[in-house]
Amino acid sequence: MTAFLAVYSSYLHEWWPRLAGAVRVTIELSTLGFALAIVLGAVLVLMLRSANPLARAAANAFVQFLRAVPLLALLLALYFGLPSFGVTLSGYWAGILGLGLQGAAYVAEVLRGGLTSVHKGQREAGLAAGMAPHQVFLWIVLPQAMRVMLPPLLNCYVALLKDSSLCALIATDELMLTARAMASEYFLPLHIFLLVGLFYFATAFPLSMLSRVLARRLARGRRALGVN
Amino acid sequence: MNPGFLDILRTLLAGAATAAQVAVGAVVIALAGGLLLALAIVFTRSNALRLVIGAYVEWMRNVPALAHLFVLYFGLAAVGVRFSPLGAAVLGLGLVGAAVLADVFASGLRALHAGQREAALAAGLTPAQALRYVLLPQMLRLTLPSIGNYASQLIKDTSIASAIAAPEIMFYARNLVTSTFQTPLIYGGAILLYACIVLPVSSAFAFMSRRLEVGR
Repeated sequence: MTAFLAVYSSYLHEWWPRLAGAVRVTIELSTLGFALAIVLGAVLVLMLRSANPLARAAANAFVQFLRAVPLLALLLALYFGLPSFGVTLSGYWAGILGLGLQGAAYVAEVLRGGLTSVHKGQREAGLAAGMAPHQVFLWIVLPQAMRVMLPPLLNCYVALLKDSSLCALIATDELMLTARAMASEYFLPLHIFLLVGLFYFATAFPLSMLSRVLARRLARGRRALGVN
Repeated sequence: MNPGFLDILRTLLAGAATAAQVAVGAVVIALAGGLLLALAIVFTRSNALRLVIGAYVEWMRNVPALAHLFVLYFGLAAVGVRFSPLGAAVLGLGLVGAAVLADVFASGLRALHAGQREAALAAGLTPAQALRYVLLPQMLRLTLPSIGNYASQLIKDTSIASAIAAPEIMFYARNLVTSTFQTPLIYGGAILLYACIVLPVSSAFAFMSRRLEVGR
């Protein structure tokens, strides 16, 4: 055991800067992917709640399809398949697009759940009080919906953080790819992959905990399910 | 050689068999392991045990599955423990699944009314019988949607095993691409194949949940 840990003391000073630089790429991938997911998800929710049955069907089909497809297949299709149609994306941008598309499907469901959790009477009261529809949404519906939406959205971000590891398989210079490169340089795969696991844990765990704490705090004072 | 779409699908289908093997193996480990861990978390009086299990669950859930597979396949090989790609995939996905289901089952057990267990014990059932005939059936009914979610996610996660050379769908897809260059057809076919497997599974679980009238 001490021999195992002793390896770290000899190599950590070389490994740490490389991994720290790679973590930045991982966070960029997840954050930009999440931003794309929020934007696309919002569009999808608008379509899902629209009066137009065609828009609803299209959005539904899109969400169902994206949730049935593995992220890896999506990433490989975007990275290797798109060039045949004239669009060549780097691993970085293909990764962000893939993460954003899958995230959008999940975010759309979360947003929809959050918006339907706000009682219709809230909106009616706002309009009756003379507020414009967009004001009602911004100041009355959205804040209340956020209570329900925030923890799942945080969970989505954590999931994207973990899924960014798949971008290593489309040649993106993030944490997992750097780890593989280092493992073949130093021939210490166990040490390096465990250390990389620690990096992911250190990034994801605080956010997961935050999501759990938030869920408990935001549920305080909220009446039971179904009683709105 | 320019294979048509059907030939591509036929090749990918061979990978689907492996993916199914990995999924079944992992689900067995996940269900058994998750149940054991959940029972331990909910019913143990030892805070230390709960901490250890909690640490395991958090580690498995916050570290990507790809990292777990690499540790099992490449990492352990360096210290002499050699897994086949299939073995590492089944074990890795199974261990992650056990952590996920441990959380699901533990919250499911906690959602049951305490009186159920008390009444069962008062009626003369042993704790094991109380579990088997009273608590677990109710818990499984409650957690069916979450299990369905997990099952769909697991089928999709089998694609990750291609990174450790397990001969499943994405592995065959990538080999096909290098030999025939029909990239859009191949990856499009792979995506379609996954959709055809996952959509029925998630619909089946949704149907079962509705039949059993689970709350949400």
